[in-house]
Amino acid sequence: MNRVHVVTFLAFMMAGLTACQDESGDSAAPFALTDMAESDSYSSVMAGAANLRRLTQAQFSNSLSTVFGPELVVPDLAEPDMSIGGLLSVGASTTTVTPRGVESLEAVAYQVAEQAVSNDAIRTRFMTCSPTGVSDAACMREAIETLGLRLWRRALTEEEVNALVSIGTTSAATLEDFNEGLTFPIAGLIQSPNFMYRAELGDGGEFTDTELAGRLSYFLWNTGPDDELLAAASKGELSTRGGLFAQANRLLDSPNARDGMRNFFSEQLKLYELDHYQKDPQVFEHFTSSLGEDAKEETLKLLEYIVFDDDSDYREIMSTTKTFINRQLAALYDVPAPSAEGFAYADLKDYSPRAGILGHAAFLGLHSHAVSSSATLRGKAVRNILLCQLIPAPPVNVDTSIPEPSGTTNTLRERVAEHLTDPSCAGCHRLTDPIGLGLENFDGIGRWRDYDNGEIIDPSGDLDGDEFFTPYELGVAIRNHRQFVPCIVRTLSRYATGRIETNEERAWLDTLVERFEGHKYRFRALALEVVMSPFFRKAGATEEAEQ
Amino acid sequence: MSFEPLSRRKFLRGMLATSAVTIGLPPLEALMNSTGTAYASGSAFPKRFGLFYWGNGVHPDLWIPNGRGSDWELSHQLTPFANVKDKLSVITGMEVKLPNLIAHSSGPCGFLSGGPLAGSNRDGDDDFPIFELPSIDRIIADQIGNDTRFRSVEIAIEPGAKGLSYNSPESLNPPEADPRLMFERLFGAGFRAPGDDPIIDPKLALRRSVLDAVLGDANKLRLRLGANDKARLDQHLTGIRELELRIARIESDPPNLAACVRPDQPTTPPMVDGRHNMRERSRIMSDLMVMAYACDLTRVVNYTYSDLLSNNLYPEASAGHHQLTHDEPGDMPQVQAITYSIMEDFAYYLEAMKAIPEGDGTLLDNCVILGTTDVSYARTHQIDEYPILVAGSGGGFFQTGIHYRSETKENASHIPFSLLRGLGIQVASYGKDEGYVTKGLAEIEA
Repeated sequence: MNRVHVVTFLAFMMAGLTACQDESGDSAAPFALTDMAESDSYSSVMAGAANLRRLTQAQFSNSLSTVFGPELVVPDLAEPDMSIGGLLSVGASTTTVTPRGVESLEAVAYQVAEQAVSNDAIRTRFMTCSPTGVSDAACMREAIETLGLRLWRRALTEEEVNALVSIGTTSAATLEDFNEGLTFPIAGLIQSPNFMYRAELGDGGEFTDTELAGRLSYFLWNTGPDDELLAAASKGELSTRGGLFAQANRLLDSPNARDGMRNFFSEQLKLYELDHYQKDPQVFEHFTSSLGEDAKEETLKLLEYIVFDDDSDYREIMSTTKTFINRQLAALYDVPAPSAEGFAYADLKDYSPRAGILGHAAFLGLHSHAVSSSATLRGKAVRNILLCQLIPAPPVNVDTSIPEPSGTTNTLRERVAEHLTDPSCAGCHRLTDPIGLGLENFDGIGRWRDYDNGEIIDPSGDLDGDEFFTPYELGVAIRNHRQFVPCIVRTLSRYATGRIETNEERAWLDTLVERFEGHKYRFRALALEVVMSPFFRKAGATEEAEQ
Repeated sequence: MSFEPLSRRKFLRGMLATSAVTIGLPPLEALMNSTGTAYASGSAFPKRFGLFYWGNGVHPDLWIPNGRGSDWELSHQLTPFANVKDKLSVITGMEVKLPNLIAHSSGPCGFLSGGPLAGSNRDGDDDFPIFELPSIDRIIADQIGNDTRFRSVEIAIEPGAKGLSYNSPESLNPPEADPRLMFERLFGAGFRAPGDDPIIDPKLALRRSVLDAVLGDANKLRLRLGANDKARLDQHLTGIRELELRIARIESDPPNLAACVRPDQPTTPPMVDGRHNMRERSRIMSDLMVMAYACDLTRVVNYTYSDLLSNNLYPEASAGHHQLTHDEPGDMPQVQAITYSIMEDFAYYLEAMKAIPEGDGTLLDNCVILGTTDVSYARTHQIDEYPILVAGSGGGFFQTGIHYRSETKENASHIPFSLLRGLGIQVASYGKDEGYVTKGLAEIEA
């Protein structure tokens, strides 16, 4: 099918789908290309500079699993990610590979290569030939070309293949073993910058088909492209609107998209920090060593449900009483436990005042101290993460201690009162503390409490003029805040591009916000709109250094 | 201490060199110096550098010693250093001159790099500091780290700590916090004790040929990049060239250092009451690092005890470290106890170095270890009165056993400048902006 036919076919299909969707109201019908913004809906400004993106740790191991299959045990790479502009994915456009990382990458590359040649299930995925001798160059070539395409996300040049075949045959001859010889070019493919970096640099202001395959796959799956996506790229389909849309939909229909979006939310909400979760078990009797992991899973399962299973209004994450808990979280939340081990769907509305991600152990515990809650940390997290507002660092020359509980100051609200009256503190603490105090009914790991040091907790407050009297109403106030929707749009766009938008590009964000509203805030539609937007398709000229 | 100083091959070579040595005579003398503890070649012991870094500062009132020069007494928080007092210089009253914009970040950035926080990092959007200039350990490692298997080794005691070893704003060297993995890296495959034969393995050459191909790929990619991305990729390329050298070293003779023995494989201490066992972790890591120096696996060790702003829960503490520095009332006995405990672990590390004989002195004498933190007094985030310890004389370059007190709030950058000179690194200046200096601190130099 040539390009024209693809577009016509899709347009035809989508017309039908749109009709169905209109009849069924806001049900979870698939989106049509015609639902997506046209290029001319966006202001015609220059795209920000295209950049070299290093694979994040998650992308590194996911990519290897995609290429070599589930049998592969991927060792850890000692090259941490760095968060910039709130996202590891943006940090990955800034960081490089350290000498320690190079050493680790080499070790990982050989461990992967050895598994690849010695495990039949893995080997047959990239090699159909049987070597006829120790240095069977033709068979070596087949393996390298197949793996090269998948690992480097593009076909290798003849010169590149020849160099690796030569390494492979020399190694095989030296070691007198074909498979052992093959480990060296495989390790070379993995160590190459062509694997470790995504050089999406564009051509004439647009990303190429090959580059779009990588962008699409890492954005929606957080791993490298599959064979079908690579094939679509080689046929030139991705540089057409219809072709790109069709592939984006295919990827979103795949279970891999759940992993991809889980990674996005993990970065956005900094859930990866739960991997080093430290709380004092002497203070929190419901703390367990698996709490960090359980808490992370709850939040990700709810988001996955809203985005994929329910395909409902994303803003529900702030107010829904639905969630997913296991027995440990049920004990912490004091609600009926699932009948079996593992996570199960639960609606807490009859059992608990808990609602939305602000009522999750993940958010509550992450933005607290090791032994207590923190109004400031929680308020700051709401501003930074959910509303994309910057809270300046505290001035360095102030004594930031707050009074211990005493006869007159028992609750945290009373103890932090000075934050809100002392003019040197109040500027920022008025932005953070009233929000956090609205969550004081949850202790430092997220257990409900009515009292703090014997005094009843008053969670009331207001968020930029919107009054709330319960944690639930705080969630609703955030949901209705004018910056809540623009914030998720901005964060997802940064995640997709791996960079911070330019001032001019903010006009594109405004368009995306309107489109998101038009899609009744369905997140899947937003992901598609981002793919179809100039953020995803336009490549700015590469930046030169200032010096 | 048992030692096994010579390989069979060397031993035979030695037999030939001394000709007709009979089995009954001590055969090794000809290859050793008088104390039996030096290089067979008789060359001088290498100078080494170390950083020992912890988060959340000190209690200045309990830190600053009484007395000056060589006539001084250990302060309360320095009491743990009693056994190494004569090897330690305490420097007080110095000030990090760069503006104190971000609490806990501006101090270590200004001291350890001499420069400001990177531009992207100054707005406080991300919590972790990014240095604009490379950190002092990198400047040193690039000069004195080229002859060892590891240019430098980065470790952390607090799991999850990121350390502060910046090659460039894009490149933060990750520390290893797991003692078992650290052991594997240093003393697992590829390690040879003195006396072991060099490893002859055709795979080493093949690995190098793969790295050559990787360099070729990178150079082709490089041509397509803008200047910023080129600089990032160049950092990566430096790492690849370093790895090629490291592989080559596996094939050459191991350095013949008498004190070098392969340590026992440690196990990683489990948590106790939801708290990391910092003491056990630290002592295991210290023993490994001392042997890494003694075996000349590296000449630069970057020891992050805890990160800046660390909120680690210490044994028996009622809250995280950083939280306590702000919220603990009165004299802050818990914060004091944590600082004291960190100094005990630091002192253990120095004592372990002192226990390794090298020539007529000890390993510690051939080292210079800089001890410092992220603020002076954490409650107020001061970066004047910066806590600075210098242990070991760096092969005789530095005075030890003194307390130098600056009465004029001298620029803290003079200390790193002196360290560079003491390690034989010729530089015209250190730092940038308010951190810029063109001389060291003569009073701590011998």
